Amino acid sequence: MKNIKEKELKGIYALVIGLFLVFLLVPILLLLGKSFECEGGLGLSHYVDVLTGKGFLAAFGRSLWIASVSAVLTTFLAFILAYTIHYTNVPKGFKKFIRLAAVVPMLLPTITYGFAIIYSFGKQGLLTRLFGRQLFDIYGMNGLLIGYVIYTLPISFMLLSNTMSFIDKKFMIVSRIMGDKPLTTFFGTVIRPLAGTLAASFVQCFFLCFTDFGIPASVGGRYEVAAAVLYNEMLGSVPDFHRGAVVAMCMLIPSVLSIALLRYLEKYNIRYSRISEIERKKGPARDFCFGLLSGTILTGVLCIFAVLFIVPVVQEWPYQMHLTFRHISSVFADSRLVEVYKNSILVAVLTAFLGTLTVYGAALASARSRLPEAWKAVIDAIALVTNTIPGMVIGIAFLFAFSGTPLQNTFLIIIICNVVHFFSTPYLMMKGALSKMNASWETTARLMGDTWFRTIACVVTPNAMSTLLEVFSYYFVNAMVTVSAVIFIAGARTMVITTKIKELQYYTKFNEIFVLSLLILATNLAAKALFGYLASCRERKNKEQK
Amino acid sequence: MKNRKRITTLGLAALLMMSAAAAAGCSGADKQVVIYSNADDEAVEAMKHALDGNGYEGKYLIQTFGTSELGGKLLAEGTNIEADLVTMSSFYLESAQEQNQMFQDLTFDAKPLEAYPAYYSPITKQEGAIIVNTEMMKEHNLTMPSCIKDLAKPEYANLISVTDIKSSSTAWLLMQAIVSEYGEDGAKEVLSGIYKNAGPHIESSGSAPLKKVRAGEVAAGFGLRHQAVADQAAGLPIDFVDPAEGNFSLTESVAVIDKGDKTSSQAMGMAECIIKYGRSELQQTYPLPIYEGETDDAANKSAYPKVFPEKLTVDLLKKHQELSESCK
Amino acid sequence: MLELKQIKKSYDGVTILNNMNLKIEEGEIVSILGPSGCGKTTLLNLILGITDADSGEIYFNGQNITDVPMEARGFNIVFQDYALFPNLNVYKNITYGLRNKPGISTSQEVEELIGLLGLREHLSKRIDQLSGGQKQRVALARTMVMKPKILLLDEPLSALDGVIKESIKEKIKEIAREFKLTTIIVTHDPEEALTLSDKVLIVNQGSIAQFGTPDEIISSPADSFVREFILNQLEIKRNHIFTLFRGEMESGLSSNKDADRIVKQAV
Repeated sequence: MKNIKEKELKGIYALVIGLFLVFLLVPILLLLGKSFECEGGLGLSHYVDVLTGKGFLAAFGRSLWIASVSAVLTTFLAFILAYTIHYTNVPKGFKKFIRLAAVVPMLLPTITYGFAIIYSFGKQGLLTRLFGRQLFDIYGMNGLLIGYVIYTLPISFMLLSNTMSFIDKKFMIVSRIMGDKPLTTFFGTVIRPLAGTLAASFVQCFFLCFTDFGIPASVGGRYEVAAAVLYNEMLGSVPDFHRGAVVAMCMLIPSVLSIALLRYLEKYNIRYSRISEIERKKGPARDFCFGLLSGTILTGVLCIFAVLFIVPVVQEWPYQMHLTFRHISSVFADSRLVEVYKNSILVAVLTAFLGTLTVYGAALASARSRLPEAWKAVIDAIALVTNTIPGMVIGIAFLFAFSGTPLQNTFLIIIICNVVHFFSTPYLMMKGALSKMNASWETTARLMGDTWFRTIACVVTPNAMSTLLEVFSYYFVNAMVTVSAVIFIAGARTMVITTKIKELQYYTKFNEIFVLSLLILATNLAAKALFGYLASCRERKNKEQK
Repeated sequence: MKNRKRITTLGLAALLMMSAAAAAGCSGADKQVVIYSNADDEAVEAMKHALDGNGYEGKYLIQTFGTSELGGKLLAEGTNIEADLVTMSSFYLESAQEQNQMFQDLTFDAKPLEAYPAYYSPITKQEGAIIVNTEMMKEHNLTMPSCIKDLAKPEYANLISVTDIKSSSTAWLLMQAIVSEYGEDGAKEVLSGIYKNAGPHIESSGSAPLKKVRAGEVAAGFGLRHQAVADQAAGLPIDFVDPAEGNFSLTESVAVIDKGDKTSSQAMGMAECIIKYGRSELQQTYPLPIYEGETDDAANKSAYPKVFPEKLTVDLLKKHQELSESCK
Repeated sequence: MLELKQIKKSYDGVTILNNMNLKIEEGEIVSILGPSGCGKTTLLNLILGITDADSGEIYFNGQNITDVPMEARGFNIVFQDYALFPNLNVYKNITYGLRNKPGISTSQEVEELIGLLGLREHLSKRIDQLSGGQKQRVALARTMVMKPKILLLDEPLSALDGVIKESIKEKIKEIAREFKLTTIIVTHDPEEALTLSDKVLIVNQGSIAQFGTPDEIISSPADSFVREFILNQLEIKRNHIFTLFRGEMESGLSSNKDADRIVKQAV
């Protein structure tokens, strides 16, 4: 077999590596260089400047603190939701509701969350009016906390729910039959197997909160976090790129640490040889409690988003409350906003295409080739790195690297930025799917006279289709909602919805902001439904063939 | 199998076409002039009307930014900036020109009342003043302030609203007034007192103090003079005081980016159009006269117009920002 | 003695078990045999107490245990994939139950079990270092430490290689005999059922097709299902074996001794 040259795979490998060399390594190195560059050569003066400056370390500390608190809280709430699904006998329909409602926030940009919070808990907010008084001050710690929790809840939920579905429930029977007390059973057969994932959820949530820019941009108030500092250094009134580069590099540290920790924690995952479902023990009290808790959590989340639907359809919140479609129609009448929406769709579709191709190529090279292990390790390392780098850092690195080149202010740079930024998760999904497939397909097909491309097109791709669709959908949705990286590279002709929302924020045009957010939500829901339908079509077809 | 292949081919073709369209979208639209602006909604509308009414409809694209964001872009990107035309706070334009030599001299003369550099021409002028809510003043038995320093008095605790110079240039009008009057150390003292009194009402948007005064959440504030004049004319319980320290002003101006051969041929025409045909509508919101022959309403004539002794630059702004931070 | 009376069970309107009546004497090894989906796993779950019956009653030694929760019944099970705790080593798995019920087995009894099941040299190993047969024996030991009143085995041999299979069969028989333990085994393999147990319960579509000793089933199958699906399989197997060993049979050599030898080596 070693004689087969795998020219095609080597070509693909080279393309993928080339892409990340130009659009990841070079920009990040430039950024690194910028942070050390000072008058008359290299030095640490900018680092000294930033680190001894009054605001930065405090903001950094605040970021660490609030990201940790949010991560703990989110993981706890997500655990309740996942536990309700996997370990209680609440009605099936309710479980389905939990599954759907828990991931809704993913379909909206984070910058929207903040505005939704303002209109829910603010002085004139929906919930404030329902309760008759403002529950708490939303600007600062509280607002950030709510925003972060909503933002990370879907991810944490998906992680936990996924692991729970891979826990062999039979162990609960064994534990009970062996005479364990309920609490021991709980810790031994639920918490213990989840420990790795719980920690992973914490780390992942921490990372997301730490690097998010959308939420602090809207409800941060005077509570300045590291992401806001970074934004101000780069695009503030007196921008200093060197200091910005330093802040960006500093933001990398917790990210790198958290991902390293994540890798380390993988070892603690218990792998079960077989997954079996059991009939869950009857526990009406338990079902009621968890049903109620989950219901409350999700109602809370959905309530906050309810304003998205209400505010744009009333005349003038909260003073003139009669129904009107004026705001919505005015958005659709504004050719500039329609243009921006078209841009977003274009960027999302092309990101999904290019991203899926990149991910597929990378995964083929690493999971279905005989390339040297060291080569494959490079791709894995890239996936790790892209997972580690905050979107804002990528955006800034692109700003440095491509200003003045023909790429500046093109859709292409935004698309590539998204492809690079979101590479990690879909790559791991794709690699997992490809490595599970029978390893002898290519050989068999080759023996039957297929070219490599034909085998890929006729055998591997059809079998990987459902994962490819998932990857496509992942890229699409993320390209629709991301703001952190594109805020630095979107130009007037390449405005997308999220950057437009940031712009509208300056004019406090909340009606437009909410209508655009709803547009994103509707688009993502439609996309999800479409991909879900396509996937189920394929499944049905496969079944029929069988 | 054949079918699938065809679909794959079609998909790839569609992808290529879309990429091509995307690329074309970037180059094809090049004829459109890109205007970057930090102006408020009303000003943007006025400029749009002027351009649309004079043959430029559909030939330009306005992109708005916060002042600090656009300022950052100008300084950082220089002539690499996407825009062909900008409207921006004048001092930023001056600093950007000094740093990057990025603007072309204007080819038209609009005959301004004062002298401005050759590469920009103002579109709006705004002055600062103390704004009070007359009902709140009565309710809290406050004496009418006569100068900015008065706002630092303990009787105004939690009853005033000001803006933060980190995010709003309106605050700079206040800073200029107290720095020029009391020197840096004196200004520090006054500002510390004001920040202490303002407490949670240190705002980031220039129009926020007026909104808070209007809503009765505070009794007094420092904001844009013309907005208070308009409120008072509209019959609201609003009054304004020209501070004894002086009414300082800031202008926002239009400038054309010098991109060498690639400079847009229409940008200069648009700049002229904005001044020539936009000013009358702009003056409805920003009434201060800038050019010869413009109406000058008595109500908008401030008592103590003043100019800061030093040249306004970004460095000066930075210095004043640091001064302000140290007072918090 | 375990007795099931008129047990009925259905899921989502589909009847899984219908009017199940059954008596199992103390110390018997009983196999529940049937094709997949016949309801045999549900029957096992009912006896163990994971699942509640829709109607009917379960008696153990004359006592109605229908509503007694799983933990209080005192039965125990070895699952098909053994469900060993992957984070504990062999010895800790075996003695797991002692943490909760100290003294249920004396340390001497534990030692005997370890010896009986040939696990002494594996005690400090991790679970993933064990072979399938070793895991099965660890799971057996872990369960036996709890001194169950009834031992339930879910497909105990299906995941094992041929030779290991025979050795585990012997161990199961040995344990049942040694501890006079009522043992209920679920299997889909007629050969396994008929060679391992005192009595075989053949289940088809939620009802009992036949319940009797292996001899009775071979000599007088109750209905066409038993004949066609159970006996037929065995006959095909027998014929294969006969064909293979025709030469040896003719020369009058018994292959039994060879088989025994192979089994002993494997253990």
